Amino acid sequence: MNRREFLQCAAILVSGLGASQFSFSLSEEQSAFLANAPDFNTRAVNYFSPAQREIVSAMAEAIIPRTETPGAVDARVPAFLELMVAYWLNDEERAVFDAGLHDIETRIPLEYGKPFQQLAAPEQLKVLQALEDAASDSPWYEFGNVQREYISDAPFICQLKELTVWGFFTSKEGGSQVLRYDPMPMSFNGHTPLAPDDSSWTTPL
Amino acid sequence: MIESKQYDFDAIVVGSGISGGWAAKELTEKGLKVLVLERGKPLAAGTGYLGEHASNWKLPYQGKRPRELYEEEYPVQSKVWFAFGEANRQFWNNDKQNPYAMDEGKPFLWARADVVGGRSLIWARQTYRWSEEDFKSNASDGHGIPWPLGYKDIEPWYSYVEKFVGINGKKEGLPQLPDSEFQKPMPWFALEETIHARLKKNAPDVTLTNGRVAVLTEDLPGRSACHYCGPCHRGCSTGSYFSSQSSTLPAAVATGNLTLRANAVVERLEYDSESARITRVHVIDTLTGERSAYSARVFFLCASTVGSTQILMNSTSESFPNGLANSSGVLGRYMMDHTLGVSGIGVFLDNMDSYYHGNRPTGLYIPRFRNVGGQDKDADFVRGYGYQTAIMRMDWQTGFNARGFGAELKDSLRKPGPWIFALAGFTECLPRESNRMYLSKHKVDRYGIPQVVFDFEWSENEIKLRRDARKHAERLLKAAGAVLILPQEDKMSLPGEGIHEMGTARMGADPAMSVVNAHNQAHDVPNLFITDGSFMTSASCVNPSLTYMAFTARACDYAVKQLAAGAL
Repeated sequence: MNRREFLQCAAILVSGLGASQFSFSLSEEQSAFLANAPDFNTRAVNYFSPAQREIVSAMAEAIIPRTETPGAVDARVPAFLELMVAYWLNDEERAVFDAGLHDIETRIPLEYGKPFQQLAAPEQLKVLQALEDAASDSPWYEFGNVQREYISDAPFICQLKELTVWGFFTSKEGGSQVLRYDPMPMSFNGHTPLAPDDSSWTTPL
Repeated sequence: MIESKQYDFDAIVVGSGISGGWAAKELTEKGLKVLVLERGKPLAAGTGYLGEHASNWKLPYQGKRPRELYEEEYPVQSKVWFAFGEANRQFWNNDKQNPYAMDEGKPFLWARADVVGGRSLIWARQTYRWSEEDFKSNASDGHGIPWPLGYKDIEPWYSYVEKFVGINGKKEGLPQLPDSEFQKPMPWFALEETIHARLKKNAPDVTLTNGRVAVLTEDLPGRSACHYCGPCHRGCSTGSYFSSQSSTLPAAVATGNLTLRANAVVERLEYDSESARITRVHVIDTLTGERSAYSARVFFLCASTVGSTQILMNSTSESFPNGLANSSGVLGRYMMDHTLGVSGIGVFLDNMDSYYHGNRPTGLYIPRFRNVGGQDKDADFVRGYGYQTAIMRMDWQTGFNARGFGAELKDSLRKPGPWIFALAGFTECLPRESNRMYLSKHKVDRYGIPQVVFDFEWSENEIKLRRDARKHAERLLKAAGAVLILPQEDKMSLPGEGIHEMGTARMGADPAMSVVNAHNQAHDVPNLFITDGSFMTSASCVNPSLTYMAFTARACDYAVKQLAAGAL
């Protein structure tokens, strides 16, 4: 299935409408996909190589690690990243991401003697920190620069962080075990006490 | 009561949105056999709300908007930032399939629903009465033509619809914003109370009150009090907010007098010059393209401001070569919309140890305070504006671009940050002849109906009002104790972005200057009533839906009495 066809499937899955309502007909592959796609976000996407998948997992976990609460890997953030890179990013954005990932894949073994995912935590952090330092002029970091869809020319590290943080806090684990989740509050109270360690609510997007 | 042998129906209502739903309810309850025609898809009340209560992790891409799809198929609707999304996209118009045109360099955002219930499903539910002054403003400052009626004429109808709609709010006794029939008001955030107290002391010229919203805080028959899940626009299976789906259409169905036909786009109304009446409505099935026609004694156009006027313009005849009921020539003109947008954002460090539970589906409201009871000396504009307010606690969504990694980043992102309190000005728009819609001579839609073309620009008065709203928002945020005020630009919203398009078939006493009379009845065609926003002769600065509802109920009462008296 090509990307365009996949997006058409996405449109149908989400709207709950039959394909007949749309001005196109479905390929056999699309029909099979739709019949077997109960949840849009958790299907397998095959975009990264196995080695890249390990790198992306390690990077996501380094950004949002498991502590006493779930971390990025627990929350399936690596799979979310693969979904987003494969289908959500546009060609320009995907090229930036691919190049950034390729750089980590090829450069780190030369510099450190082993791939990123096998580095000790302090070394992984050092790699990420160096990327962030090099990107620090990006408008992505400007205070309040969050009311937008996406910054298409944001550097790799910014893309990685944005999608990791987003994927984590909108996941079931991040959204209900790290943030607090109550889909059916039944009342509104604007005067509840907030203790220093309390988390924010998950708010419906 | 009414002999209807020779007609398919007693009454035909075009549109099932907030006005059409009311027309359906009122006319069926008064014993008329009614056909409601809706161009949108059928939607099962309650069970058709596919995205209701969906968690963020169930939304495609976990809530990141599918940009490519939106750009291609929903370039207009996806700009309705507060309500459009994957959780309710099936309610909205597909722009690619339903195009419209604009004059060069004059953008217009035409937000449209595409389901039974129309925009009543996705409205922001703000409900405010007009004041005596609103009805007098045209007459007193000379813009537009005078309203042929006043507040006292509509007041009982406000009360009538409000009791059925279910509006929560707080009585304030303000002349510029009369109180409605209220259910108990929704509670406030601690910071809102802090701000309220400071404004009382530092800015006594304004009133900070509850947003008055059509969301229940007390049960009504068949509808439950709000459960505070938050995103109303996904649809509400408990009927906690007012929509045609939750309220008026079920009431109409209960009479046994309603026939509802979805997927039915109205092409035109057929006029018979001998009887000087509309005799039939011509309909195209949106799925099959099949044409049909229905006759009735009386016709209610409730297809939205632009939709209704499009139908009239497309209903030409020898008697009305320039559009049905358009002997005055004003059809399509004097179009208005509210300019809206953020006027000021303040960051607050008060009440940091106070939090909340539940998602209140409204902010607060600051009623008009400029040019109230006379022209302010320092105002270089006429009329005024009100502010809707919004409050939020900063969280990961406002800080996901932070520097850093690891447990520290995770911990800082999961916790609430400072408070944000914002003022969004909604400003009145003057009725001007040059702001108009018309039908394209070259472009047609997929049914062969000429496309609507918009030709609309803000006037100097709206620009000055916006500027003033920004200036006073800064003053009020300062008075409220903001530690930081984020600078705002004097940017005008796109015409249409207010989704309060009004006018185009305006009401007036003089048939040479207006399309409908004081009862929403067309001057030229006695069995035609137009009760959506197109009849509005001026715009006020308050959200208009409540006024459409009150005028619709009043027009239905009048029409049925006229039918009974044999006058129609």
